[in-house]
Amino acid sequence: MPSSDPLPPKESAIFRKILKCYEMKQYKNGLKLAKQILTNPKYTEHGETLAMKGLTLNCLGRKDEAYDHVRRGLRNDLKSHVCWHVYGLLQRSDKKYDEAIKCYRNALKCEKDNIQILRDLSLLQIQMRDLEGYRETRHQLFKLRPSQHASWIGFAMSYHLLGDFETANSILETFRQSQSLNETYDYKHSELLLYQNQILQESGNIDKALKHLEDFSAQIVDKLAVKETMGELCLKLGKFSTALPIWEGLIKRNPENTLYYQKFIEAKQTKDSDEIVNIYKKFQSEYPYSICPKRLPLNVANGDRFSEIVDDYLRRGLRKGVPPLFVNVRSLYQHDDKVKVISELIHGYHNSLKSSGHFSNADKEAALPQEPASALLWTLYFMAQHYDHLRDTTKALEYINAAIEHTPTLIELFVTKGRIYKHAGDLVEAFKWLDEAQSLDTADRYINSKCAKYMLRANMVKEAEEICAKFTREDVSAMENLNEMQCMWFQTECALAYQRLERWGDALKKCHEVDRHFSEIIEDQFDFHTYCMRKMTLRAYVGLLRLEDVLRQHPFYFKAARCAIEVYVRLYDKPLKTEQQVEEFDTENLPPSELKKLRNKQRKAKKKAELETAQAVQAQVKKEQHNKSRQLQNQDGDPEAPQLDELVPEKLARPDDPLEKAIDFLRPLQVLAKECIKTHLLAFEIYYRKNKLLLMLQSIKRAKSLDPIDPNLHTCIVKFYKALKVNGEINEHVRTVIDKETKLLFDGRDADAMNQDVLKKFPNSFHHVLQVARCMYELDATKRNTAVQLVMSFDFKRLTLEDATLAYNYFTTGVFGVCESSANEYKVKCQQRFPHALLFKDQQSCENHMENVKVEWDNDDQQ
Amino acid sequence: MTRASIELGDVTPHNIKQLKKLNTVVFPVTYNDKFYIDVLDAGELAKLAYYNDIVVGAVCCRIDTSENQRRLYIMTLGCLYPYRRLGIGSVMVNHILSYVEKDGNFDSIFLHVQVNNESAIEFYKKFGFEIVETKKHYYKRIEPADAHVLEKNLKNLKNCDSSGIVANHSNDASKQNGIDSTASSHSQLDGRA
Repeated sequence: MPSSDPLPPKESAIFRKILKCYEMKQYKNGLKLAKQILTNPKYTEHGETLAMKGLTLNCLGRKDEAYDHVRRGLRNDLKSHVCWHVYGLLQRSDKKYDEAIKCYRNALKCEKDNIQILRDLSLLQIQMRDLEGYRETRHQLFKLRPSQHASWIGFAMSYHLLGDFETANSILETFRQSQSLNETYDYKHSELLLYQNQILQESGNIDKALKHLEDFSAQIVDKLAVKETMGELCLKLGKFSTALPIWEGLIKRNPENTLYYQKFIEAKQTKDSDEIVNIYKKFQSEYPYSICPKRLPLNVANGDRFSEIVDDYLRRGLRKGVPPLFVNVRSLYQHDDKVKVISELIHGYHNSLKSSGHFSNADKEAALPQEPASALLWTLYFMAQHYDHLRDTTKALEYINAAIEHTPTLIELFVTKGRIYKHAGDLVEAFKWLDEAQSLDTADRYINSKCAKYMLRANMVKEAEEICAKFTREDVSAMENLNEMQCMWFQTECALAYQRLERWGDALKKCHEVDRHFSEIIEDQFDFHTYCMRKMTLRAYVGLLRLEDVLRQHPFYFKAARCAIEVYVRLYDKPLKTEQQVEEFDTENLPPSELKKLRNKQRKAKKKAELETAQAVQAQVKKEQHNKSRQLQNQDGDPEAPQLDELVPEKLARPDDPLEKAIDFLRPLQVLAKECIKTHLLAFEIYYRKNKLLLMLQSIKRAKSLDPIDPNLHTCIVKFYKALKVNGEINEHVRTVIDKETKLLFDGRDADAMNQDVLKKFPNSFHHVLQVARCMYELDATKRNTAVQLVMSFDFKRLTLEDATLAYNYFTTGVFGVCESSANEYKVKCQQRFPHALLFKDQQSCENHMENVKVEWDNDDQQ
Repeated sequence: MTRASIELGDVTPHNIKQLKKLNTVVFPVTYNDKFYIDVLDAGELAKLAYYNDIVVGAVCCRIDTSENQRRLYIMTLGCLYPYRRLGIGSVMVNHILSYVEKDGNFDSIFLHVQVNNESAIEFYKKFGFEIVETKKHYYKRIEPADAHVLEKNLKNLKNCDSSGIVANHSNDASKQNGIDSTASSHSQLDGRA
C-alpha cells in the first residue's frame, strides 16, 4: 500500500535520496535533504520524512530528538509501512526487541510482501526465540523469493529448530537436488551436506544418516568431520569392525585426542583393564612422542601393572622436567591405593637421587647414566604438591623449602609455596609468595593473574588492581579495562572480596557487571543471524543458538549470581542506614578518651575519603575522555549501543526491594542450573523471607529430588515447618496442597523429631551435625548449650579447614545467638587444628601480620 | 637418556630479579642497584644460563677502558651449586670468548678471583687465563680479602692466529666438562657493597 500522503515527483526524488544517504551512512547530508522537504510549508508535517529524519538523528546519537521525530512522523501517517518500519528500527537499536517486533508486524499490515521488513522481522524473531513466528516469516520469504539459497536454508532451519526434522530434511533434500555441482571444491555445499547430516542424526535415523554420509563423503571437504561422524555413527549402529579402522585412522591423524582412544576401545568392545593397557602400549610404541597413550592407561591400570606404568610415567616427567606433572596425575588421587603407590615411588626417587643421582639403586647398580641435576628439584616439587594435596601442610612446606633451597630461581616453586599457605588458611602469606613469583618474571601474565587472585582472596582489592594494571591498557584504569575485557574471574573474585569486607554496594556492582557481560554476549549473537546464513556455517550457527539458550549456565554466572543473592538477602535482613543516618553517629555515651580516638579516626577517614574523591574525579575525567575517543572511533561502527545506567555502589546497596533484585539473579539459575542443589537452597532463603509458602515448598521439593539427605536441605525443612506454624491463616486451597505435600515431607513428625532423626542417622557427618545444632537453637533458644556442645564435641581431627571456617562463622554471625565465650573456645580449638589459618589467630597478631606485609609490599612497589 | 639442554638467554627488566636472586645465592658479595641497571644495557655481555629451561647461572661483563687499553672485564660468572660440573660455566665463558673474537678489538679479558678459590682458578686456566697480579685487601667484607687478577691476553694471539685458538678453547672445554667454580666472585669498585 502506498503512503497515504504521497509527495510530488520533485520531493519524492529528494526522499529517495534521504534513504540512500541513510544506507550510505551520510547522515549529515540526509538531514540537509530532509530539511529541504520539511521547510516547504506544504510538507512540514510529512510523516515519512519526519520518520527518516528521526532515524538519521538516532544514528548521530541524538536519541531524544530521534524518538520525537519518529513518533511525530508515525502519528501523521499511521498507514505508512515506512513509518512503522522506521519506528521498529529505532526500537531495535535500543534493544527493545519485543516492541520492535510489534512495529514490524504493523508495517507488514500496510505492506505484507515487503522483503526488507520480513527479513528484519525474522532476525528479531530468531533473536527472541519466537520460533513459531520465525517459521511463519521464513515461509513468507520462501514463497516470495524461492530462487534465493537463503530462503531455502532459513525455511529448513526454522523447522529444524522446532524439532520437525522430517520437514527440515525434505526441504534441504529438494534444495540439494535442484543444485548442480559445478565446482570441485565447494565449501558452502559441503557445509550444507554436513548440516543435513546433523538433522538426520538428530532425527534419530542413524542408518539414514550413515548412508547419507557415505553417499556424499566425496563432496564434503571437511574430511575430519566426515571421519569423526562416520566413526560415531558406526559405533551407534554397533558396526564395530567398521568403526575400528576409522578411529585408528583418527588416532594417526592426531594421537593427542583422548576421545579417539576412548572410541577405539569402545569399538574393540573390551572392558578388561589389562587388555586396554596393552592397547595403549601398542599405541605408545607407534607414537613414541605422544602423551595420551602414556597417560591414559594410568586411569584403568591396577595393582602391579599400575605401579609399573606409573613408575615409568613419573620418571619420564621428572627427568624431562614437566612442570604440570603433578596436575597431570592429580585425578588419580581419588584412589587411595594409587596414592600409596605414587607416594612410595617418589620417596624412593628422592632417596636415590640424593645419594647417587639415580631414580633407584637398581639403576645405579646397572651403571646407568645419572639423571639430570634438575630431576631432584622436580621430585621435591612433586612431593610438596603431593603433601599439599593431602593437606599435610608441615610436610608440604618442608619439601617446597628444600626445593627452593636447591634452586631458588624456579618460579613455580613460589607459586606452590603460596598455594600451600592458601590451603592452610594463611591468605596473607599465600599472596606474599605469589607476589614473589610474579616479581621474578613480570612478563608472565598467568602468574600475574594468579597473584592478583591471591590478593583478592586476602581482600586486597586495590593492590590486586595495581598488579593487574601491569597488563591492562595504560590510558584507562585497570578496573575499567578489566570490565571492558569481560575479565570475569577477576570481577567475581572482586565481588567475593567486597562481600567479605561487607562493602555490599561494591560487591553488587561487580555482580551486576558480570551479569551485564552475559546480556552482552546474548546481544552479540544478533550479527550472526545474517552472517552464518550467508557463509553457510550452519552447524556452528545452530551450536551458537543452543549455547546462547543456556548461556547463564556458566559457572561464572553462577558464582556472581550466588554472591549477589547472598548480599541482597543480607541487605534485606539488615538494611543499611541511609547516608544521612550514618553521619549522625551516637557520640553521647562515649568517654572522652574514646571520643578523641573516634574523632581522630573520623578525621583520618575524612582525609582518606577526600583523597579518594579526588582520585575518583580524576578517574572520571579520564574515563570520559576515553569514552569520547571511543565514541569517535565507533561513530561509523556502532552508534546504536544504548547507554546503560551507571552502577553506583551506594545506590545498589540501598535497593527498594532487595528480594526482588535477588530473584532477578535467581531466575536464570532456576532454569539453567536446576541440577545444582545450591540453586534451590538459595531460592528457599529468598522465598522464606518473602513468606511464600508454596514457593518454599517448591524449592524444598526440587532440592530433595536432587539429594534427599543434603544437610542444608534439612535446615530448610525445619524452617519451613516453623513458617507453617507461624502463619496462622492460610488460604484453604494452599492449605490443601501443603497438607498433602507435608504429609510426605514431615512424615508425621514435628521439627524436633526430624532434627533428632537426622542426628541419629548421620552422627559422623559434620555438616549434618552442624545443621542439626543450628536447627536445635532455631527451634528452642534455651537449648543453646546442647547445640553448641554438639558442634564443639565433634572430632576436630576430622574437620577440613572449610568445615571449621563455616562453623566458626556460625558462632560469630549469631547463628547460635550471642555467644562470645563459645566462639572464643571454638576459635582456640580450631587454632590448634589449623595452626596456619589466619581466621583462628589472635586478632591483634593477625592484623599486625597483614599490616607488615602491606607495608613491605608498598615498599617493594616503590623500588 | 636425553641429554640436558644448556642455553643462554637475555637479561631483561622482566627477569632481572632472577639474576639478583641467583647472585645473592652464589656470591658472597652483594651488588648494588647500579650494577643491575647497567646490566640491562649490557646486551650480549650479560646472560642468564638455562639448564633444562631453569635459570641456574649467569655471566655479567663490562668493557674496561682504563690503562689505555680496551679490555673485557668479567664482573660475575656463576652457577647454582647443584648444577656445577655440568658444563654450564664453559658455555658462558665460550660465549664471552666468541663475543670478543667477533669484536676483534679487545686487548684482553680479565677478572678477579678470591685467592682461595682454587677450582675457579683451575677453571679459567683451562681457557688460557693466567694469574698476572695479586691484589691485597681487594674484598672488604669477606675472608680471605685478597684477590688474584686472572687475565687472558688477546692481542698476541690475534697476531699469530686470530680465528683458530678461541675455537680450540671451546672444544677443549666442552670435552672436559669439569668445572667446580661458580665462583669467581669478583667485583670492582662500584660493584662492591
